[in-house]
Amino acid sequence: MSTALSGATIDTTGPVSPQGRRPGRAKRTTPRNTLTGGAGLGLGITMLWFSLLVLLPLSAIVARAAAGGWDSYLDVLRNDQTWAAVLLTVRSAAIVTLINIVMGTVIAWVLVRDRFPGKAILNVIIDVPFALPTIVAGLVLLALYGPNSPLGLNWAFTETSVLLAFAFVTLPFIVRTVQPVLEELDADVEEAAASLGASRLTIFRRIILPSLFPAIIAGATLSFARAISEFGSLVLLSGSRPFETEVASVRILSFIENGSYATAAALASVLLAVALAVIVVLDIVQRRVARRG
Amino acid sequence: MSIDITGVTKKFGDFVALDNVNVTIPTGQLTALLGPSGGGKSTLLRIIAGLDSADEGSISIEGADATKLPPQKRNVGFVFQHYAVFKHMTVAKNVAFGLEIRKRPKAEVQRRVEELLDLVHLSQFSHRMPSQLSGGQRQRMALARALAVEPTVLLLDEPFGALDAKVRKELRDWLRRLHDEVHVTTVFVTHDQEEALEVADEIVVINEGRVEQIGSPEQLYDEPANDFVMGFLGEVTTLGGVVVRPHDVEVALQPSGNGEVAATVTRVLRVGFEVRLTVTTETGEEVIVTMTRSHLRQLGADEGTKVWLSISKGAITVARSGGVPATV
Repeated sequence: MSTALSGATIDTTGPVSPQGRRPGRAKRTTPRNTLTGGAGLGLGITMLWFSLLVLLPLSAIVARAAAGGWDSYLDVLRNDQTWAAVLLTVRSAAIVTLINIVMGTVIAWVLVRDRFPGKAILNVIIDVPFALPTIVAGLVLLALYGPNSPLGLNWAFTETSVLLAFAFVTLPFIVRTVQPVLEELDADVEEAAASLGASRLTIFRRIILPSLFPAIIAGATLSFARAISEFGSLVLLSGSRPFETEVASVRILSFIENGSYATAAALASVLLAVALAVIVVLDIVQRRVARRG
Repeated sequence: MSIDITGVTKKFGDFVALDNVNVTIPTGQLTALLGPSGGGKSTLLRIIAGLDSADEGSISIEGADATKLPPQKRNVGFVFQHYAVFKHMTVAKNVAFGLEIRKRPKAEVQRRVEELLDLVHLSQFSHRMPSQLSGGQRQRMALARALAVEPTVLLLDEPFGALDAKVRKELRDWLRRLHDEVHVTTVFVTHDQEEALEVADEIVVINEGRVEQIGSPEQLYDEPANDFVMGFLGEVTTLGGVVVRPHDVEVALQPSGNGEVAATVTRVLRVGFEVRLTVTTETGEEVIVTMTRSHLRQLGADEGTKVWLSISKGAITVARSGGVPATV
């Protein structure tokens, strides 16, 4: 079994790599199915694992919600409190993702291009928001931006606190996706552009940014998905006040606590649809930009 | 004169990359900066382009002081060893880059790009991405991109260094022909003496941060300033403390009394049409002698044969530890 497995892992690299190099929309030259015996086993294991962890539970939720027909979805969204929660979640996640696109790129830039004392430490600390249990994140933010704020910034239980919590937990995503790409960029490409007369801004806009774009989009997708699912840090920080600071995931919890599983499932599948839509849209944007050049 | 380099010194920490370099590069010619790796030639090229700055000294291009100018304002074309292509742009877009950021009219840009792609024989590839080109094609694209902005000088940093031997030779000939068409003042860096001798109008030999000699290929070969230049531009051996080319050592079985050195053939090695003899003198000096196979057959020498060595008349010789060339 173990030899068959290792064979499988080696084989799978074969058919996958040429696809990654396929530029633009060139015609498919490789056959659709290039699976050898070992690769077939690899794909089988992948799909089984993926199904057990992701596909089946998701399908169960959707099936449960769909049992009530379209009306159950509409009823959920027609509820003003739920609609407010969904809007708040999506709006805040979108705003935070936009902020991350700028700040994440800036932080990655500083970590790669600049030299300063403490750089190695900063590089490690970037991951803390990701590693911290989110309830601790809420506690930390409450200490600085809560009622006893030493800065005099009491944002607890306001909409700003939702943004704050989202921004905190999603900080590392774009930094970590952009950083390796930035490190791999050749200095001579920028020098070539400079000697052709391009200003620093032009070099950034026309040469560096297009190279970073796929990484930024990948990070933005992760960041958005992570934001709409945030729960733990909001429990303390936002107070989850209906119509004001209650987000969709908290709303789902209260449905479950009230025993209305079908409604919870319906709202969950709405969130699922939003996440899927954003992933697809960002992927399309990235492909468009990659092709335009 | 197109580029004047005056008293340029550059240090990286304790390492002296360039030590008070003075060179004048003539207009409209193809000049090679030749020297061993790490000798400072690439650094000098980068300083001319403004990609590095000199610690001391000045650079002037076409009579205007460029020492403090950023690379954007020097109007130089630079071609890198590893092509430095803009991966996300098509071949045509790469070439158009310099013109587009200068906000030239679209029609003009298009016309000029077509012209240049024609010049570098890449017209049919204009819509390809650089990743779909071979190394040689990428470098030709990079050259077209550099020429697009009509630079005063074209600088090439080991332009063929990353290519395989056959393509390198083709591109070398092609560069020479291209230069005869375009006539832009061109400086290229190479560590390959054959490349420099074949392509360049003028060669600047740089070693350990200093200019060893400047001259035409013939001058460098026939009148090397010192043993380094002589050794770098071709094979050398020493006989009696004098540096000489191996084919300029004469071998005889009998002494004629003109100060020949007695020696013994210790090794005979056949390399193609040529034979390479290792001959050890009585003082223990190992001399390399090359001759044709037929010459060796006439001579009738073999390993262990006692011979007399002399330097042939008119041979180029240089004293071993630098100095003026002397002709015997």
